[in-house]
Amino acid sequence: MEKFKVLIVDDEEDFVETIVKRLKDRGLDATGVFSGKEALGALDAEDFDIVILDVKMPGMDGIETLREIKKRKPLVEVIMLTGHGSVESGIQGLQLGAYNYVMKPIPLNDLLGQMEQAYERKLIEEERWRQNHGEKET
Amino acid sequence: MSVTPGPGWLNRAQPYAVTILLAGGAAALWLVGGTPYGLGAAALAVGSFAITRRLTGRVKLLDQRARDLEQELYRSRQLSKVDELSGGIAHEINNPLGIIAQEAEWIHHLLRSNSLKDIKETEECADSLREIVRQVDRCKEIVHKLLNLAREMQPVIQLVDITDLIENLTGLVERVSKPNKNITVVRQFDGNLPLVYTDPPLLRQVILNLLVNATQAIDKEGTVTVVTQGLGDSVEIRVEDTGCGIPPEQLKKLFTPFFSTKRQGEGTGLGLAICRGIIERLGGSISVTSDVGRCTAFTIDLPVGKGAG
Repeated sequence: MEKFKVLIVDDEEDFVETIVKRLKDRGLDATGVFSGKEALGALDAEDFDIVILDVKMPGMDGIETLREIKKRKPLVEVIMLTGHGSVESGIQGLQLGAYNYVMKPIPLNDLLGQMEQAYERKLIEEERWRQNHGEKET
Repeated sequence: MSVTPGPGWLNRAQPYAVTILLAGGAAALWLVGGTPYGLGAAALAVGSFAITRRLTGRVKLLDQRARDLEQELYRSRQLSKVDELSGGIAHEINNPLGIIAQEAEWIHHLLRSNSLKDIKETEECADSLREIVRQVDRCKEIVHKLLNLAREMQPVIQLVDITDLIENLTGLVERVSKPNKNITVVRQFDGNLPLVYTDPPLLRQVILNLLVNATQAIDKEGTVTVVTQGLGDSVEIRVEDTGCGIPPEQLKKLFTPFFSTKRQGEGTGLGLAICRGIIERLGGSISVTSDVGRCTAFTIDLPVGKGAG
């Protein structure tokens, strides 16, 4: 399995801690934060590949956070996660550039599969960006 | 305006107060006293000065016009890809803007009333302001979607399990079904559907859009059927609903931008136009058939192989 760096964003602290632990057990580089604001701070500080983002959060909600992420780090792939399921925010999220929109609970293997696909897309987009900007591959 | 001392021979002329009017290319001079020689020299200098200034001014103007036209040409080349939207743009953005203007004027009127302590008017102000904010948000969404449509979104092609992709979304829509509606979701998936080279997030937008439309078309009770079928070098995806159906006049215009059968405030009518744009960019096609009062079916055809769009 490809190694990528993933950020989990959800106001449900138990959920975040569980997911982070299980992903780390699988050998992945995973970090957890509990708000949209913290997420933006984390993305500024380190290079993440994938963000798992909860839709309904107090303060800065998922859609707003997604907008900001896509503005600042357009190549980062975001998978939206929701426990409540609003299909409208699903469509909105996809239109704003989310890779996918999935409902909790999701089996970890399924989530991993999604993240791998999202990471593959990131690699393709990065390669395209490099080519468009005439950079040579190191 | 006064003439600044120019070349030496002009200085030999008496320094006079000179006022120059540049009007219609003609320089008019007023001179107070002075020798004929000075007068002539001053007139010549001022005349040349005046004409040069005017010509410079005109050149600058023409230069600016040229640049503006260049900009317009560049923008129109970009916009030609969304040319058909221009009429819709005007209509869709002008409506909320008109309302904003009205509300703002009304607030202004209220605030000028004698008794600001009048509680009823304060409430009305608050209501108007809320309406303003609502309409401004509407504008923002419309512009955002327009920019998405106009932007050259190059698909990122991956090898995709369409059945998986559709099942995820179908499950989502199923679980989120409105409580006062009784909607049955039926799946008719081709068990031997090939993997398809396509852009998953883009395709998801389209499928989710169709699924949501299908559930919204059903009033109280009905069925949404999702069908997939492998057709050799392409796959067919169909989303059917037993909803209210679409009359023929609307059917023709269904995929045009800004066309909407929804009430004001419910969506902006860009949905199906974007869907068609995406599907065509993925090298496929989308079509619709409908029986008023009985059912509607949207059919997507996608090529299996690369080299799409």
